[in-house]
Amino acid sequence: MERQCAPVGRVGTSTYKAVALNDLPVGRAGRVLGILAERELKRRLLEMGFCNNVRVEVVRKAPLGDPIEYRLRGYHLSLRAEQAHCISIRPD
Amino acid sequence: MAICCEASDSTLPLTTGTLTIALAGNPNSGKTTIFNALTGMRQKVGNYPGITVERKVGRCRLPEGVDAHIIDLPGAYSLISRSPDEVVAMEVLRGLRPDTPKPDAVIVVVDASNLQRNLYLVSQIIELGTPMVIALNMMDVAMRRGVAILPAELEAELGIPVIPVVGHKREGIAELKAAILKARIAPMPDWPLPQSMREELTVVGGALAIIDSAEGLECEAAGLKRATPQEAAHPNQLRLDRYRAVAERLLVGDRAGDLTAIANRDPVGSVLSSAHERMTQDGMDPMQVEIEAHYRWIELISARCLHDVDELAAMGNEPPSLLSREPPARKPTVSERVDMVLVHRVWGLLVFALIMGSLFVSIFWLATPIMHAMESAVAWLGHLVTGEMDDGPLKALLSNGVFDGVGAVVVFVPQIAMLFLFLSILEDSGYLARAAFLMDRLLARVGLHGKSFIPLLSSFACAIPGIMATRTIENRRERLATILIAPFMSCSARLPVYLLLIGVFFAQFSAWTRAGIMLGLYGMGIVVAAGCAWIFKKSLLKGAATAFILELPTYKFPQFSQVSRQVVVNTWEFLRRAGTIIFALSMLMWAMAYYPRLPEAQVQKIQATARTNALSAPATSNLLGAAQLEHSFAGRLGHAIEPAIRPLGYDWKIGVGLIGAFAAREVFVSTIAITYAVGDNEDALPDAMRHDTYSARYGPPAGRPIWTPLVAISVLIWFVLAMQCMSTLAVVRRETSGWRWPLFMLVYMNTLAYTLCLLLYQIGSRV
Repeated sequence: MERQCAPVGRVGTSTYKAVALNDLPVGRAGRVLGILAERELKRRLLEMGFCNNVRVEVVRKAPLGDPIEYRLRGYHLSLRAEQAHCISIRPD
Repeated sequence: MAICCEASDSTLPLTTGTLTIALAGNPNSGKTTIFNALTGMRQKVGNYPGITVERKVGRCRLPEGVDAHIIDLPGAYSLISRSPDEVVAMEVLRGLRPDTPKPDAVIVVVDASNLQRNLYLVSQIIELGTPMVIALNMMDVAMRRGVAILPAELEAELGIPVIPVVGHKREGIAELKAAILKARIAPMPDWPLPQSMREELTVVGGALAIIDSAEGLECEAAGLKRATPQEAAHPNQLRLDRYRAVAERLLVGDRAGDLTAIANRDPVGSVLSSAHERMTQDGMDPMQVEIEAHYRWIELISARCLHDVDELAAMGNEPPSLLSREPPARKPTVSERVDMVLVHRVWGLLVFALIMGSLFVSIFWLATPIMHAMESAVAWLGHLVTGEMDDGPLKALLSNGVFDGVGAVVVFVPQIAMLFLFLSILEDSGYLARAAFLMDRLLARVGLHGKSFIPLLSSFACAIPGIMATRTIENRRERLATILIAPFMSCSARLPVYLLLIGVFFAQFSAWTRAGIMLGLYGMGIVVAAGCAWIFKKSLLKGAATAFILELPTYKFPQFSQVSRQVVVNTWEFLRRAGTIIFALSMLMWAMAYYPRLPEAQVQKIQATARTNALSAPATSNLLGAAQLEHSFAGRLGHAIEPAIRPLGYDWKIGVGLIGAFAAREVFVSTIAITYAVGDNEDALPDAMRHDTYSARYGPPAGRPIWTPLVAISVLIWFVLAMQCMSTLAVVRRETSGWRWPLFMLVYMNTLAYTLCLLLYQIGSRV
């Protein structure tokens, strides 16, 4: 997991706090700040619509805690925490 | 934005006779329904050579007497991908597959209720420069959510025909057919790219123009040279569009078959690498910039074309305001409300258990009477045909060979059909994705995918449909791992063996203990499967962790026509693939047990002994049967392999049973019944087995019972773990397109089974 994604912290000098998408609690939403992942995964996530500034909402977690269901661009998608970790988010 | 809207109406070369039309679209966009509506029953379903991606082609009659072949492409989110389905879609659209002609036009099915992500694929297909039409599906779903799309507006934005359709009601299909003839090359949109990337594209495009003018022909594959009426009207603009599109694909690192050659040619190669370098220095990733530009263009279009239903009604024909963000108070959709229960952490698991439980129960109990009925029907037919015949090879061939063989095949059909019925209902309704979502965590621990669950569950009925169902797993390694462990799930053919051995050797225990042993056997298969999957994913199928990105589509009512079609196609495939093998092996087993015949002298000797002991006629014929089997090739083979299976505690009779099990595992029971001279009277089998002892020729201790509980457990474990089913191997060969994996499966499973049984017996018999 750590091989794929660098830890997400504050982005640059900006003042808003960035969190990894998997750390966003259920029911909350935020906007995508960027993706830190190996090329194929990054392409896939971008193509599924995780572009900069897109609003993502955390719908629910699976009963065993993983994967996590998200809503973006009007549709529902689930990611494992491992992949969601690669997406940094500015919570609303 | 639209550059050349006044191009001629028809862009298709109508003189060429039958048109080739590709049907593309996202997964879950309702593409298959539209395909069925367009082609009716005139479909051919097969596979693309060498891979297990389904290839569906149908014929369709368009207006003006034009015939068309419609190719239903596999669902794709993108044309740049490594999943086999998406690669096929890309290759067909680009004309890179030798088995499929480059389509004259593309119909892109767009789910109106999920416009943005669906338009992403549209934006990629636009860049191919193929004439296209959009089938705007699921307008009804969008309307129910309060979103309206005016097709005319979308048509104006994209510059290609947009036809609203409701696939399952066949609404708009006639219009779609007419529109295919009006398909046009979409004008290249002006993607909102940053200025620096535009400049790089101009540079790369210039390089492309140089090689095109110098040695143009070789660029044909990339779509640089396509003279269509539309192009003839606007030669320069379209040519520039193509340069720009190819430059874009090159710059973002798309190296599909037709682009690699161009990327390596000078001056393109050198221009490309320096452009890439400059962009990276500026902190830009061309791939990301490009995808985000496509999506920004999509956001602009959907903002202009998506309207609030109420708002639209209130305003009449006034141009509505931009809907740039989500409506403030969004009501949950029907699908979302259903999901509040179906993937709830308590109710969701409960419903899941209920659905899977009823699947399991119906496969075993509902299917059983039908299975018996079909079996007796075949047996009755057999009697009808052979009843009047004289005893002899022909009668034996027909009754024990042909009819038993057919019986062995049809006995599986009700179960398989029911399994596929369940699978296609689950898949069509959208529940399959939820099942994967619920189960992923459990399976991820051993390196599998949430989508491995259903194939593994199916394997409890029969590994063959289970292995066929792994096609929904996109990742090759996870799919292979699932295939490799699927046969460890105790299939229904093992059940008679379990029941017999547990019934015979654990009769003194309570019913609960016996049920526990049975459960233990099933559990053992699961545990070993989990262990093997984990080991495979760490060694043989090692690779970077694969992404789990799973769409949870809107729920739909499964379509009867679609479901029944699935059931028929898949059951037929089972009959064709597995049925022929089961039948052939049954025939082979019959021949091996029938020849060579017992010499007449011995027959008379046995009959004489029977007379002196005053045995009944059936008992005599059973004795003869047993002697015949021992004398036959099968019996001799059983004796021949005895040295190998002695260390496991088996004698030649069990050996013959194991050989018989290669036709189908449950044949073990009937074969053992013959060797114990009980014939058709399997009720007498337990006693015969319990009283069977080693004869003196096996050395000491003569008179010891052959079937001790230890031997019974050893045989049971052999049946849990060993790969004995030739039909499964044949299906694996087909699904993995080669003998490598089925052979590996045969070796690793049987080695594992042998080793464990050996250890068990050797240690157990010394304690």
